[in-house]
Amino acid sequence: MSATGERTAPLEADVDGSREPTGLLETVGAAPLELVRDLRGLRRTLVTTLRYTFRGRRDWRAIAEQMYAIGNRSVFFLSVTMGFIGMIMIFQSGVQTKKIVPDLTLLGANYIELLVRDFAASIGAMMLATRVGAGIAAEIGSMVVTEQTDALRMCAADPIEYLVVPRFVASVLMTTVLVIWACFIAMMAGMLTANTIFDVNYWTFLNFSLVDTGDVVVCFAKCLAYGAAIPIVSAHRGLHTFGGSEGVGWATTNAVVHSSLAVIVLNFFISSAGWLIFGS
Amino acid sequence: MPISFRNIEKRFGPKVVLDGVSLDVRDGECFFVIGQSGVGKSVLIKHLVGLLKPDAGEILLDGVDVARLDERRFYAVRKKCAMVFQNSTLFDSMTCVENVTLPLRKHKALSPTDARAEALRRLDQVHMREFADAFPAELGDGLRKRVAIARALTLDPRYVLFDEPTTSLDPVSARRVDQMIRELCDTVGVTAIVVSHDLVSIFSIADRIAMLYKGAVRMVGTPAELRATQDGVVQQFIQGRADGPMEV
Repeated sequence: MSATGERTAPLEADVDGSREPTGLLETVGAAPLELVRDLRGLRRTLVTTLRYTFRGRRDWRAIAEQMYAIGNRSVFFLSVTMGFIGMIMIFQSGVQTKKIVPDLTLLGANYIELLVRDFAASIGAMMLATRVGAGIAAEIGSMVVTEQTDALRMCAADPIEYLVVPRFVASVLMTTVLVIWACFIAMMAGMLTANTIFDVNYWTFLNFSLVDTGDVVVCFAKCLAYGAAIPIVSAHRGLHTFGGSEGVGWATTNAVVHSSLAVIVLNFFISSAGWLIFGS
Repeated sequence: MPISFRNIEKRFGPKVVLDGVSLDVRDGECFFVIGQSGVGKSVLIKHLVGLLKPDAGEILLDGVDVARLDERRFYAVRKKCAMVFQNSTLFDSMTCVENVTLPLRKHKALSPTDARAEALRRLDQVHMREFADAFPAELGDGLRKRVAIARALTLDPRYVLFDEPTTSLDPVSARRVDQMIRELCDTVGVTAIVVSHDLVSIFSIADRIAMLYKGAVRMVGTPAELRATQDGVVQQFIQGRADGPMEV
C-alpha cells in the first residue's frame, strides 16, 4: 500500500528482500518509506524523460499520433466540462454577488481573471488527468504485463525513450493548446449565462482589464507543469505495473489519483510563486 | 562453457524463486529448461539478458560475468543473445516488417531503407514475406511466433533464448517451430536455450535437458538419461502424471 492508501506496483529493486512489516513502528514507518521510494522512482522517470527529450532522437510520427490522441480526442470532453463549469460558476457568482451588491458589471472581469490565472489550467488539467493519465497508464501497463517493454529492451530501445517521450512532448504541447481552448469555452459559456440570467451585456462581460502579465505567465507556467506532470506520473505508474490485468487496473486508478494530486500540489506552488513574483 | 549460471538466487518479496541454481550450456546445443509452471524457468533465462538481476550468483557469458552489468552495457549482450518471448510480444502498433526492423535500426543503426530490406529478407527466411505489412493483430499465434523468431534472428545472434515457444500453438505450428529451432542449432550453429513443458518438443529436439524443481536443479541430462532416471519427481513430470511425489 502506498502512502495515499492505494496499492502500488513494486519495483524489482523495491520488492527484493522486502517483507511484511510486523511491529507498530514498522507499520507506521512503511507508508512514508514507500512514498519516498516512489518519489525517487518518479524523479528517475522525469530525469530520464527530460534527457531523452533534449538529447535523444525525436520520433515526430509518434509525437503527432500522441498529439492527436491527447489533444484532438480530448476536445469534446473538455469543451463540455468547461462549458458547464463556466455556466455553474457564473450562475453561483452572480447569485451570491447580488445578495451584497446589485451591480454585476465587474462579474466578467473577475471571472476572466480567475479563469486565466487558475481555473482554466487547473480544472482543465484535472479533466485531462482522468482521460489522458488513465490512457497512458493503461497502454504502457498492458505493454509491461505482456512483456512488450522487455522486448523493447531486447531491441536496445529504452521504453522511456520509446513510449514516454512522445507522450511527454505531445502532452506538454497539447495541454497548453487545450487550456487556451478551455479558457475560451468557459468564457463563452459564462458570457452567455451572464447575459441570459443576469442580463449582463456581452461587451461588459468581456472585460480583460483585470488580467495582467503575471496572470498570463502563471497560466502558461501551469500549462507546462501540468502538461509535463500528467504523462510522467501516469507513465511511471504504467511502467511499474505488475500482476496481469488486475495490475493494469490498479496502475490506471493510481495514475488518475496521482496525476490529479500532482496537479493540485503544483497549483499551490506555482500560484504561490506567481503571487510572490507578480503580487496580487 | 559459453554460458554458465553459478549459484543463482532470486527472490520476489518473501518468495524464493531460484535458490542456488547452477547450470552450464554447451556451444551449439539445444538446451531445454523444464519444470512446473512458476518454478522460475523464465526468470532464470531473463537473467542472462539483463531483464532481471539476480540477488546472488554469477552468470558467465563467454567468460564475462554479466550479472552486474548496467542497462547500457547489456545492449552488447543482447546483440549476441536474442530472446523469443512466450507470447511473441510483437509491438501492436507496428507492422511485421517494422517489428523486425526495430533491432536493426537500434542495434546496428541501419538506415530505414537498408533496415527494411534486411527485415524483408529475414521474414522471407521464416516464410512470412507475404505478411510483411500486416499488423500482428491480423495474424494467428503460429504466424506471430515466426515473426518474433525473425525479429530475434535479425542480428545473427550466437545464442537464442526461447520462452515457451510452442505454448498456445496448434500441434502442426508447434512442430514447425521445433523444426526451426533444431535447424538453427544444426545449420547456423546457434546455441538455443528453450524453456518449455511441451513434452513432444523436449523429446524431439533437445540435446540436453535441465529440470528445475523447488528453486533448484533437480537433474541435467540427455533425453535418454531423463527417461532412464529413477527419480520419481522427474519421472512424474516427463510422464505427465497427476499423482506422484511432486509437490504442487
